[in-house]
Amino acid sequence: MACVSRACQTTVELHVMDSELERVLRGLDEAVEFAKSYRFEMTEDYLALIARVEALPQNRPGADKSWVWRLSDSSARFYKSAVRVR
Amino acid sequence: MDPVVPLLRALNQRNVRYVAIGVGGVNLWAHSGGVVFKTDDRDLFLPPDADNLVQAWTACDDAGLELWLTDEPLDRPRDRWLAEQIVARRALTRATGPNELLVDLTLVMKGFEFETVWNERHVFRVEGVEIPTARLLHIVTSKQAAGRQKDQLFLATHKDALEQLLKKPNLD
Repeated sequence: MACVSRACQTTVELHVMDSELERVLRGLDEAVEFAKSYRFEMTEDYLALIARVEALPQNRPGADKSWVWRLSDSSARFYKSAVRVR
Repeated sequence: MDPVVPLLRALNQRNVRYVAIGVGGVNLWAHSGGVVFKTDDRDLFLPPDADNLVQAWTACDDAGLELWLTDEPLDRPRDRWLAEQIVARRALTRATGPNELLVDLTLVMKGFEFETVWNERHVFRVEGVEIPTARLLHIVTSKQAAGRQKDQLFLATHKDALEQLLKKPNLD
């Protein structure tokens, strides 16, 4: 797909959009449209999953969850360090 | 150490009543890395109690955090009168600190009164600090009630992740 943009008053640049990029952007547009219309339903299945998680031994009162925040922190640092390569 | 830990320690030392909610609260219920979600802030739900709020603000000071009301620094003196104004409006105060720490002190949890959540709270520990945490059921029910687009998508993702993980044998 080609698109034309006016870069300055006297120059017109012609960009050829990478087909992979075009596919990704189309996917993002579709995801945005889906998100706008999506409505999550609280189902019995989900409530049963929640009850099961609350009852797990890993979630007993006083359980040490330091690992959760370490993981969350390292994940945030990882994504923060990401740089665009092309 | 996670930069929020000193704040939680200070809140506990001042006997501030609060519960962790939001995605940060959901994360505390994680039993596996597969259900730990990225979030940019921590949400703490406080009762509509001016004295408690003043103590929470003082704990933020103790922990060296800045306090904000919308996009302005929270006025001083941070006394009972100011807290009453905030409580009357159910306004949110935000604490910020090092490493982009962002903690919202909210007086509202959609669909719930504080006492309900507090009475059924669960306590987890992080780096030796006890964290009163809302029940997972309360957090997801509130997110459903809020109906925001981001909450809807979060719940769908959370449900999907739980379905995947709880199918694994020998989990419990």
